[in-house]
Amino acid sequence: MNAVDATEHYETSARDPAPSLLTVILDTNPHAWALLENSLPLSKAIANILVFLNAHLACNYANEVAVVASHNQKAAWLYPRVRQNTASDTDGDAAMNGSSAEPGQVNKYRPFRIVEEQVTQNLRELMESTSGADIQGTNSTMMAGALTLALSHINRSSIAWAEAHGADMAAAGGDVPPTGGSTGTDTMGEGLQSRILIVSVSGATDSAHQYIPIMNAIFACQRLHIPIDVCKLSGDAVFLQQASDATKGVYMSLAEPQGLLQYLMMAFLPDQRSRRHLILPTRVDVDFRAACFCHRRVVDIGFVCSICLSIFCEPPENGDCLTCGTHLEMGDYGAKPAVVARKKKKKKRVNGQSNTATPTPTPTPGP
Amino acid sequence: MADSDEEYIGGVSEDEDNNPAFRGPRGEATTSRAKRRKHGGAEWEVSRTWETLVEGADGTISSTVEGLLEAGKRKRLLRDTTPLQRGIIRHLVLILDLSQSMIEKDLRPTRYLLTLRYAQEFVREFFEQNPISQLGVLGLRDGLALRVSDMSGNPTEHISAIQALRDQDPKGLPSIQNGLEMARGALFHTPSHGTREVFIIFGSLLSSDPGDIHQTIASLVADNIRVGVVGLAAQVAICREICAKTNGGDYYRYGVALNEQHFRELVMDVTTPPATYSQKQSTNSLLMMGFPSRTVETNPSLCACHSKPSCGGYSCSRCNSKACGLPADCASCGLTLILSTHLARSYHHLFPLMNWVEVPWQRAARSSACFACGISLPPVPPKDQWQTAEGQAKGVSVSSRYECPACKNHFCIDCDLFAHEVVHNCPGCQSKAARFMPTGPDTMDTSV
Repeated sequence: MNAVDATEHYETSARDPAPSLLTVILDTNPHAWALLENSLPLSKAIANILVFLNAHLACNYANEVAVVASHNQKAAWLYPRVRQNTASDTDGDAAMNGSSAEPGQVNKYRPFRIVEEQVTQNLRELMESTSGADIQGTNSTMMAGALTLALSHINRSSIAWAEAHGADMAAAGGDVPPTGGSTGTDTMGEGLQSRILIVSVSGATDSAHQYIPIMNAIFACQRLHIPIDVCKLSGDAVFLQQASDATKGVYMSLAEPQGLLQYLMMAFLPDQRSRRHLILPTRVDVDFRAACFCHRRVVDIGFVCSICLSIFCEPPENGDCLTCGTHLEMGDYGAKPAVVARKKKKKKRVNGQSNTATPTPTPTPGP
Repeated sequence: MADSDEEYIGGVSEDEDNNPAFRGPRGEATTSRAKRRKHGGAEWEVSRTWETLVEGADGTISSTVEGLLEAGKRKRLLRDTTPLQRGIIRHLVLILDLSQSMIEKDLRPTRYLLTLRYAQEFVREFFEQNPISQLGVLGLRDGLALRVSDMSGNPTEHISAIQALRDQDPKGLPSIQNGLEMARGALFHTPSHGTREVFIIFGSLLSSDPGDIHQTIASLVADNIRVGVVGLAAQVAICREICAKTNGGDYYRYGVALNEQHFRELVMDVTTPPATYSQKQSTNSLLMMGFPSRTVETNPSLCACHSKPSCGGYSCSRCNSKACGLPADCASCGLTLILSTHLARSYHHLFPLMNWVEVPWQRAARSSACFACGISLPPVPPKDQWQTAEGQAKGVSVSSRYECPACKNHFCIDCDLFAHEVVHNCPGCQSKAARFMPTGPDTMDTSV
């Protein structure tokens, strides 16, 4: 873009591998963590995740992390957090808030310390703001909101990185890069590499009402080549299986939650560039079957409304769609194939009429 | 685009406001433009872009340029978001002009190569947006219509077929009539619940037809086929007439590319599913579809669709024959096989995210940073400066804040763009309480 001062940036970006941005979505649903209390309490899990974040930061000095909490009432940023009242410094460098640094921690590598302080502090605030009524009201987690927030931050970081490094990619201008099919290398090679790790504890049935937003976020990730890695501590969510399958991420359901750190370090630390050379622990049997809207049965063969794409397990009464109310024309489902009857007719006609019958064209179904 | 005058759409579809041919950088002079449009001229023929530049207080035009950039971003977003019936299941024939006029180099590198490149992007984007639709590609060369690829739902087939055209040279004259007739034949058997569309990329200024093209147009109208044309050279009367007649008297589907970028926009606009006409173009019906599970075998077996050995695949829910990729029609029993994710991909067309509104300075003090990405928004100036920025282009917020009308959070322009064009979620609404569902009814989950 700016050819005048791009020379020095060009040299650095040519030599160094592009940094990567790791966004961790931490499911902080209190119900699910309470169930895990005996094997892996939240405090221990946080400690493990912080070590993992530090490991990611240590891989490359330009690497970035972001942490979003997907609570049961809201999705909130844990790091970097923007203070609404202090609009001074918002580029992720939030050291202004770290004034309460304990003197014992001065010897720690600064990025490590900032991340640790902010995450623990913000998480404590989040937990303190949660009242008993909030917990009783719902048992779900705001995964869709957390994914959307994470994607917005990734978008912002990619734009900022592209501007800073003079990348002439169309992505910098806000354009969606054309979704490269098999040759994703041109978009993967340069630019900020982003990925999302979901540490999930909630079960599947809780997030059923967020289906469309979650799917929208997954498709956005797919378009932007952002893999979604899923580390499942308890429960099993079909959405997340589909998410990691669609975005070519890693899905792991931990048999032993105590070993969280080891799983994180071994399976989730490599970035996209290293992953090309690794055999990843991916899942093969992803459940893609649909549940009908009328009885919630899992169907193999379903009927789909051509207007609103609702799925039914049997043709609805009177042919009216239950979701959008449109009257639907029913095909001859369940009827015998018409081939046999047609053949007979033809024979009769040929025999009954003159023998100079011109071949009649086969009747084509009308539009 | 509040400035595009609706009265010429003629009650057929009040919704499609993204009138591509008439997008200009200005927001005034609507009356003169309306007059011009009546006479068949396009608005860009007299465009005085320099008049919109206003010097800022410091004597530079940087603020105006920035405003124009933001307005351009914003303009792409502002579309009607009333949930309306759209033809989600589409049948479209893409007709490419492969005649000698495509050798011209007014579009870089040549019209021909650029068209092929955009056609491939179009195919990819089309199936991204319309995963359960069908597409076919035709070419116009030497006065003939030639079949590039058959109607199918597999993007890679089309892309490789278009790729193969690069080795051939454009030659001869095009015949729109032949192309339309062949497209009509290809669309004849398509089921009535889907749309039938033809999209022509036309670089020539003439059509050398064997017969009366008006009869072809009449039969297209009778068959409910809608035609859209993108011209690369100049407006051609017959193209305009085709578009007008097949779209119920409305010619918004005819656009002439001004430059490469505009060409791309025109092509990509077609990937959005069209609104269904109020006059009944397609019948609603219930479709039987199979939702197969993925199978993984230890030994490779042949798939029924291509007879190629593969280990993974999807077995048809009715007849158990193997398909290697979805969505597809089962090769042996003809059942439509699809994943529930494919259906979910179309939901954002049905439940669009509502447009975010501009925030005046009066309400801007509530936020200092974008809710989603955390970038700091400009601070509120003293009251006497509030009026200075009024002359900005339409649709641009003076305070650089955009507010979701549902959750009342403030966002920056980049997040606005990102949320509406890529994610189709509002970060604010989704991260609030669970009871509020703005993007769709909570009955719409299809997964266990």
